[in-house]
Amino acid sequence: MQVRWLLPIGIGAAATVQVAHAVQYMTVAQAQQAAFAHAARFVPIAADIDTTALGAPAGWKPLIWRVQNASETSGWFFEDAVIGKSELITYALALDASGRITALEVLEYRESHGGEVRLAGWRNQFQGKSVADPVALDRDIRNISGATLSCRHLTEGVHRLLQLYAHVLAARR
Amino acid sequence: MSGVRRARPWLGTIVDIRVDGVDTPRALRAIEAAFAEIASVHRLMSFHAEDSDLARLRLAPAGAPVRVNARTYEVLEWSLRIAAVSDGAFDPTVAAALVERGVLSVPRSIFVPAACADWRDIELLADERVRLRKPLWLDLGGIAKGYAVDRAIAVLHAHGAIHACVDAGGDLRVAGTRAERIAVRAADGGIFTALELSEGALATSTSGNAQHMQGASRHAITAGITASVAAATCMAADALTKVVLANPAAAHTALRIFGAQGRVHEPHRGWRALDLAA
Repeated sequence: MQVRWLLPIGIGAAATVQVAHAVQYMTVAQAQQAAFAHAARFVPIAADIDTTALGAPAGWKPLIWRVQNASETSGWFFEDAVIGKSELITYALALDASGRITALEVLEYRESHGGEVRLAGWRNQFQGKSVADPVALDRDIRNISGATLSCRHLTEGVHRLLQLYAHVLAARR
Repeated sequence: MSGVRRARPWLGTIVDIRVDGVDTPRALRAIEAAFAEIASVHRLMSFHAEDSDLARLRLAPAGAPVRVNARTYEVLEWSLRIAAVSDGAFDPTVAAALVERGVLSVPRSIFVPAACADWRDIELLADERVRLRKPLWLDLGGIAKGYAVDRAIAVLHAHGAIHACVDAGGDLRVAGTRAERIAVRAADGGIFTALELSEGALATSTSGNAQHMQGASRHAITAGITASVAAATCMAADALTKVVLANPAAAHTALRIFGAQGRVHEPHRGWRALDLAA
């Protein structure tokens, strides 16, 4: 183990670094290829989503693709986002033709501090910015150690997509 | 080469794996295998999953030897070692008290845990068998995440990935000789550039919401304290953060024994070092 501490000691030197931490893990296209290596086509699907019936937040609108090999449906692919206290997570879920999860990947992770992520101002700071162009960042920092992030929102998001599949998409095979 | 980085939900958090310096197909195979290993640790050591080793111990009569997976056995060995050097400040048997406080939900069990049971009542027998001398519920929440990170690093190494970082929601380990700069998030949300680390691990725990408890006294730990520990393995770093939170003043011995270094942040005192070598 090689360690060089950089933390300021004592209250006087307690200068907080403002970080808007963002990581892009995969693009949608990469996640699609990884999940369906032999898939022929990804057909975007427009679905009328009754958010109340699914217990989803108003305005929830995941992107949905039917995955087709020739004329057969070989599975489904979703891109969705979930919002936590200080984080915004974009993720991809892949289901096989029978609705079984075959892949779940985080696509993008963004977090900010000093405010609730639901505040419009907080979210607007990311508008039009790519992950490669973070808001304010010590560029050398690639990981943050700290109060363990919960995956609860992500888990809830996956459950919503499975409900959507069961109630809306399963009949469309 | 910028490396390949993937993240998936495991261990109740989001696990981020990055591999640098090998070609993409090879990095992806290594990452896939590392996630599979993390999934195994997750299933074996989950408190709530009905088929975890911990659940099997709750469903066997206390006093009967139960065979567990070699990984679970290894984590229990380390848990007892850390419990011993911390005088029980770290204790993998606090689950019953956490259930009582509503931090964990009530698990399925054929016995009621004894209030007086502690880590000394866990007996590790030959052939990866475990015997509970008193009825008790095991919870490896304070160490299994670090162990999963260490196992993932081992799997990445086996796949030829030398430069890598595995980060389980802030408990992380850096493999390779290149120093990585890492920030720490304190309990108050402030983020500090914390250290440069290579070939080692860093874990951070914060007190609050009563999820941490002083092992020996079963008292909840004062909220708002942040403990960061750097150690050779993530398992040691993870468990030692709980020792530091339980009693910063008494954590010296445990840190020294494991060659670890610690930092503590308190709202009105800022950061301070816990090790004399700092």
